[in-house]
Amino acid sequence: MSSLSNLIRNENVKIYRRPRTWLMIAFLVLSVALMSGIMKWDASQSVTSDWQNGLIEQNRGLQQELEQNKELSEEDKTRIASEIKLNEYYLEQDLNPDELTLWNYVSTSSSLTMLATLLTVIIAADMIAAEFTWGTIKLLLIGPASRTKIMISKYVATLGFALLLLLLTFASAYAAGGILEGFDGTSQPMISITDGGVIEESSYWLHALEKYGFSVVSMLMYVTMAFMISSAFRSASMAIAFSLLFMLVGSSLSALLSGYSWVKYLLFSNIDLTQYMEGATPLRPEMTLSFSIMILVAYYIVFQFVAWLLFTKRDVAA
Amino acid sequence: MTEAVLQLRNVTKSIGGRKIVDDLSFDIPAGEVFGFLGPNGAGKTTTIRMIVGLISMSKGEALIKGISVREHFELAMTHVGAIVENPELYKFLTGYQNLVHFARRHKGVTKERINEVVKLLGLQNRIHEKVKRYSLGMRQRLGVAQAILHRPSLLILDEPTNGLDPAGIRELRDYLRKLTREEGISVIVSSHLLSEMELMCDRVAIIQAGKLVDIRSLQEARNSIQSKIVIEAGDILAARELLSAIFDASRITLNGHLLEIAADKAAIPDITRLLVSSEIDVLGIQAAQKSLEEQFLEMTGGEMIV
Repeated sequence: MSSLSNLIRNENVKIYRRPRTWLMIAFLVLSVALMSGIMKWDASQSVTSDWQNGLIEQNRGLQQELEQNKELSEEDKTRIASEIKLNEYYLEQDLNPDELTLWNYVSTSSSLTMLATLLTVIIAADMIAAEFTWGTIKLLLIGPASRTKIMISKYVATLGFALLLLLLTFASAYAAGGILEGFDGTSQPMISITDGGVIEESSYWLHALEKYGFSVVSMLMYVTMAFMISSAFRSASMAIAFSLLFMLVGSSLSALLSGYSWVKYLLFSNIDLTQYMEGATPLRPEMTLSFSIMILVAYYIVFQFVAWLLFTKRDVAA
Repeated sequence: MTEAVLQLRNVTKSIGGRKIVDDLSFDIPAGEVFGFLGPNGAGKTTTIRMIVGLISMSKGEALIKGISVREHFELAMTHVGAIVENPELYKFLTGYQNLVHFARRHKGVTKERINEVVKLLGLQNRIHEKVKRYSLGMRQRLGVAQAILHRPSLLILDEPTNGLDPAGIRELRDYLRKLTREEGISVIVSSHLLSEMELMCDRVAIIQAGKLVDIRSLQEARNSIQSKIVIEAGDILAARELLSAIFDASRITLNGHLLEIAADKAAIPDITRLLVSSEIDVLGIQAAQKSLEEQFLEMTGGEMIV
């Protein structure tokens, strides 16, 4: 009987021995490099030598707004007050808030996890369907491994690839930031202000991790969905096309239909958990974080179950 | 006969109320090459795919070395090697990487064993080339190699000769011979080509429309082949009358302008002498055999494709 670890190794061989996979990886790293280059170029265009005066000027404007505008709500008033306080802190500490640091690159790179998700979805959609397209499914299934085991090995290998891409995105953004702005920025704290108006220094590591964390959730959902589609279709190109279609059209469809209350049960309405972060509004007012998590878990279970059912119960006739 | 390597017990597959394979039961003893013969669509491939779990059974059971494929699939499959049609292998991997891939699924397939199999099938010169550069014959060999890596007790070949040229078919046959001899494997092979089966198999099962028609030993079939003598003569009716004196009337048939006598060719001199002495012109006389092909065609009602 086959051991699961050997089956996973086999699946990894099939992913990483294909030139296509390395093209994808190169594409991702290049994208991070391009993003970093554009950020650096953009910052060099708007750099001002006298940032202190800029901040003082800005604070004066804000102060004026606070005193003269009578229509400001309480909320806006505290926000403006916090902003002034933060700017004063920057002046005091002689920190230029507009100066790019290594962490700005890492932070921005978290939006490129969307690209990593896209690439992983292609791999996931290909995972089962390609075996049918190649005709290798027969020899794969006639072996001392149950179909459930084979499916698990394929899923684990796919998740491994997803993790690799995430780490690569992070690492290349970190490297690019380090090269462009110096690695001494690593220890720099993140400065923020609480609702109570207290200046806080926190770890940038945690902040970056949090940003990446949210994208991991949507990545996991999209990849699992693609995996299910892969076991439903017996043609790799169909599986890839449908997975990408759902992924790209889904969220705009949800936004378009947000007037209807049933939209909240769609996967795409819940997949972006950043809508519950501070300052963001959820797609529908009645939606909460725990509601979305429940919906996501339900979808996840359904995806896995359907994929399993389709893969283990169908006859391989052709 | 020793313990049966494969036992089929009332194996049935129905799709949409139609029985594709109907109540099939037979045993294959160790070391036998067993052919599975029938016209296209008779259910050969379906049966073979049920044995290896690619298709589920509606009823019945297949036991490999006494282990039920249905209940203990993984364990049963450790004793099976298979090639289903033209073996499709991973084209972006080299031959060797493909073998390593398949070897990893089994316990105890060493590097030495892989090399041994590579040599056995004469693949050593091109084993490190990508499979996409292999010819069909090479791929077939690599397919056999992956099937025997783990020293299975049962080798299952589903239409292995599809698409192979005559040289390739012959090559495959030679490898199978070598394998049954050197590794003591039982083989079950399906085909619609009798001529191939004749050269490969010890026994054949003939199935038609999902039902087992007959199982015969080819050795017996060969022995039981009836000889006949075919005579072409000037006055065929006179010849018949003359010969009915020495042969039983039931053994003589008039087939068009030819006279057929069920007898061994040893009788030819006597017949010739008799005809010539009675002044009947002998235009031709020859010994003939009722071929296996004809026998099988009789059994399947002429549907066999040969």
